[in-house]
Amino acid sequence: MTTESWARLSSDAFNVALFSYIAAMVLSFAYLAFRKERLHTVATVVGVVGLVANAVSIASRGIAAGRTPWGNMYEYSALITFLVVLGYLVVIEGRAKVRTVGGFVYALAVLTMAMAVSFFYVGPTALIPQLNSYWRQIHVTSMIVASSLLGIGCLLTIAYLIKAASERREVDRLRTGTPPPIMGGSGVETSDPAAPPDYAGGGDEPVGNTTTSRKIALPPSATLDALAYKFIRFGFPVWTFGVICGAIWAQQTWGRYWGWDPKETWSFITWVIFAGYLHARATAGWKGTRAAVVALVGFVSLLVTYYAVNLWIAGLHSYAT
Amino acid sequence: MSGPVASVPSSLRRSVALVWRTLRSMRTAIILLLMLAAGAVVGSLIPQIPNSPQRVAAYQVDHPFWAKFFQAAGFFDVFGSWWFALITTLLFVSLVACLIPRSRAMIRTARARPIHARELDAFPSFAERTVALAPDAAARGAAAALRRKHYRVELDETAGSVAAEKGALREIGSLAFHWAFLLLLIAVIVGKGTGYVGHATIVEGYGWTDARFNYDGDLRTGRFFTGNFSGTGIQLEDFKDPFRTTGIPMDFSSELTLTAPDGTSEQTDVRINHPAVFNGVRIYQFGFGWAPIVQIHRGNRVLFDGPVVLGQHTPPGENPLAQPWEGFVKLTTLRPQIGIAVRLYPDAAAYFRSIATGVPQPMTEANAPFMEYEVWQGKLLDNSLSTLDTRFMHRTATGLIGKGWTVDATRGCVISGTSDAIPASLAGLTCPDGGGAATLTMAFPDLRQYSTLQVSRDATVPWVFAAAILIVLGLLPALYVSRRKVWVRARPGGTGSILQVGGFALQRKDRFDEEFASLADDVTTAAGGAVRRESQEVSP
Repeated sequence: MTTESWARLSSDAFNVALFSYIAAMVLSFAYLAFRKERLHTVATVVGVVGLVANAVSIASRGIAAGRTPWGNMYEYSALITFLVVLGYLVVIEGRAKVRTVGGFVYALAVLTMAMAVSFFYVGPTALIPQLNSYWRQIHVTSMIVASSLLGIGCLLTIAYLIKAASERREVDRLRTGTPPPIMGGSGVETSDPAAPPDYAGGGDEPVGNTTTSRKIALPPSATLDALAYKFIRFGFPVWTFGVICGAIWAQQTWGRYWGWDPKETWSFITWVIFAGYLHARATAGWKGTRAAVVALVGFVSLLVTYYAVNLWIAGLHSYAT
Repeated sequence: MSGPVASVPSSLRRSVALVWRTLRSMRTAIILLLMLAAGAVVGSLIPQIPNSPQRVAAYQVDHPFWAKFFQAAGFFDVFGSWWFALITTLLFVSLVACLIPRSRAMIRTARARPIHARELDAFPSFAERTVALAPDAAARGAAAALRRKHYRVELDETAGSVAAEKGALREIGSLAFHWAFLLLLIAVIVGKGTGYVGHATIVEGYGWTDARFNYDGDLRTGRFFTGNFSGTGIQLEDFKDPFRTTGIPMDFSSELTLTAPDGTSEQTDVRINHPAVFNGVRIYQFGFGWAPIVQIHRGNRVLFDGPVVLGQHTPPGENPLAQPWEGFVKLTTLRPQIGIAVRLYPDAAAYFRSIATGVPQPMTEANAPFMEYEVWQGKLLDNSLSTLDTRFMHRTATGLIGKGWTVDATRGCVISGTSDAIPASLAGLTCPDGGGAATLTMAFPDLRQYSTLQVSRDATVPWVFAAAILIVLGLLPALYVSRRKVWVRARPGGTGSILQVGGFALQRKDRFDEEFASLADDVTTAAGGAVRRESQEVSP
C-alpha cells in the first residue's frame, strides 16, 4: 500500500471510531435511563468496534508518517481516546463490573475526537528536528497515558458527586428534622484544627455509602470514590514521571530543564492540584466532597494544559498547527 | 505588675506555638499548594519578561493602565516575584515542619519491635485453627512463616505469641518523596544562582571565547554568579542545515573545535538534541543564519574586512526561508560617517523563480547568492548591528552585488563580476573608468553561515535529576504499599495448640482479606495444622 492509501485508511478508521463512540454514548445513556440489558450489550459491542477502528486509525497513521504516531495534537487526541475507552472497557466495565458510567466516558471520547478533527487536523508529515528524540516517545507516551487515567478518574468523580448528592437527599428525607451529614463523609472525623493530620490512613479509605440507593442508577458513592481514586492514584505518578521526562528532554533540546513555558507551567499547575487532591483525601474535613471538587479543578486544569495552551497561549510547545 | 509581665512570654509562646501548629497542618499545606497553582496561572496568562520581553513591551503600550498595575504586582515576572518566593518559602517551611517530626517518628518505629497483642479476636481479620505442634513450637513456626513473607517479626516463645508488621516502605517512600522536594529546591537555587546562560554567534571559520563581553547581549547571570566565565574557546569549523524537499529541516549541526584555557581541546558536533558538555559548560544548537564576508576599501585603506551577521524580519504568516536576510556595516571612523544596509538573497534561482511565479520559494542553499545594498551618509546614531537609524543620514547610492563581485559603493556601479543567475537588467551598470581616490569599493568574496549557540553553566543539573528520580521512587511506595499488622497466639489445646491469627491493614483494606486468608493458611501449615478454610475460618 502507498503512503496515501495508508493515510486514507487512517482517516476512514478515525471516522468509523468517532461514529461508533457516538452510537455507544447514546446507547449507554439509554441504558442508564431504561435499564434494558440488551441496550448495554449493544453499547459494549459498538464501543469495542470503535476501539478497534481507533487502533487501526492510529497504526495506519504511523505507517503513513513513517514514525510513531504521536507527534501533534491530532495524534495525541486519537491516542487519548483509545486509552480512555480501553481503560473504561477493561477496568471499569470488565473488572469493577460498573456499567452505568459508560455514557460519560464515550462523551469524553467523542468530544476529544471532534476537537481533534475540527481544530488540530494535519496530514501525516515528518517532524521538526527538535521532536526527533527518544525522549519524545517517553515523555509524550507518559503524558498521554496520565491524561487518560486522570480523565477517567475525573469522570468517575463527577459521577461520585452526583450520586453522593442524591444519597444525601435521600438520607435527609428519611430522617427529616435531623441535619444532613457533613460533606458526605462516613468515617470518624475530628474537627479539632489543632489535631495532627491523619497520615496513617493515607487517602486510601473510600468515602461515601456502600449500599446502593435506587433513586439514580449509578453504583453506590463509595464504589465510585474508590474507582476514581484508583485511576487518579495511578495517573498521578505517571504524570510526575512524564513531566520529569519532559524536563530531561527540555534540558537536551532547549538547554534548560525548566523555563516556565506555558505548557510547562500548566503541567505544573495540574500536578499541584492533583497533589492537593491526594493530600485532601488524607485530611479530616477535606475528604469526600471537598477533595472531589479539588479533583474537578484538576480536570479543568488538565483540559487547559492539553488544549488552551496550544490554541491560545504562545509558547515553545505550539506545534498544534 | 508581676502578673501581666509574666503572662507576656507565655502568650508569646502560645502564639508562636499556634503559628507553628498552623504551618504544620495539612490544611495550610493544601491551601499553599493551591495558592502556588493560582500564582502559576497568572504567570501563564500574562506575558513574562524572562520568556517574551517583546510581548511584555507590546502589552505595556496597548494597556498602559493594567501594565502599571501588573508591573507593581510583579505579574510580568511571576516566577521571580517576591510573593511567589514567599508562597514557596512558606510551603517549604510547612513541609519541613511536617517532615521533621514524621521522620523522627519513622526512625522510632523502625527501631521499635512489633508489640504483642492479647485479644486477637477483636481485630478486623481473625482466624482460629487447631494445630499439632506445642504452643512454643507453633509460635516458632508461625514466626518463620511470617518472616518468609517479609514481615518484621517479634517472637515470645514462652507466651506462644508472635507480633509482626510489614509495609514500613510506605512511610519511607512518602518521606523520601517530600524530602526530595527540599533537595530539588536547593539544587535549583544553587545551580541557577551560580550559573549563567547566554548566546554566542559564531561565523564559519571564526572563533569565540566564553567571556562576558563576547555574548550577544542577552546574557543572564545568577544572583550569586561571581563573573568566573569558563574561558572556553569555540571555533566553528562548519555548519550544516539539510532540508527536506518539503522545506522542513532535517537537522542543524555545528562542527566545533572546543579549547579549554589549559590547552586541552576536543572536536565535536553540536546538533539539535545533542548538546556538548565541555570544561563545565553546556553548548546547544540554538539558531543559524547567513554571514557574507564583506571587504570595504577607500583607495588602499581597508575600512572593513570580515563577516556581516545577517538577521531576518519575517512578517507573520510568511515562510522565513523565502525571506531575504538583512544586516548593516557601519563605518564610524569616516567623516561623514557611512552606514551600508545589505539584503541577501542566498539562492538567486529560487528568488527569481518566486518573482516569476508569485509563489515564495524557500532559499535553503547558497546558489549564486547576491545582495542589494544601500549606502547612507551622515551621522550614525548608534553602534547596533541589527538596525540603522537614518534620521540624520541621506542615501547616496544603491545597487546589487553578487558573490565574487566588487562594486563602487560611491556611485553604485559594478567594477568586476557577473552572474548567469541574475538578469542583466537588474545587475546594474558597469562602472566607467576613474572613480578617483575617494571611491568606496565593496567586495563580496564569500558567503558563509553562522551558528548561534546557547552556552550555559548550571552545576547542579545532576542533583536536580537525582531529586526528580527520588520523587518518583518515593511516590510509588507512598501510594501503593500498605502497612499491615498481624499477630499470632498459640495456646495449649487438644493434642497440640489452638492457634489464633488476627490482623489488620492501615491502607488498601479491600485487598487485605485475601492476603490475610493465605497468610493464616501459611501460619497454620507452619504450626503443623491442616488447611481446611471453610470449616475453621471465623469472620467476626
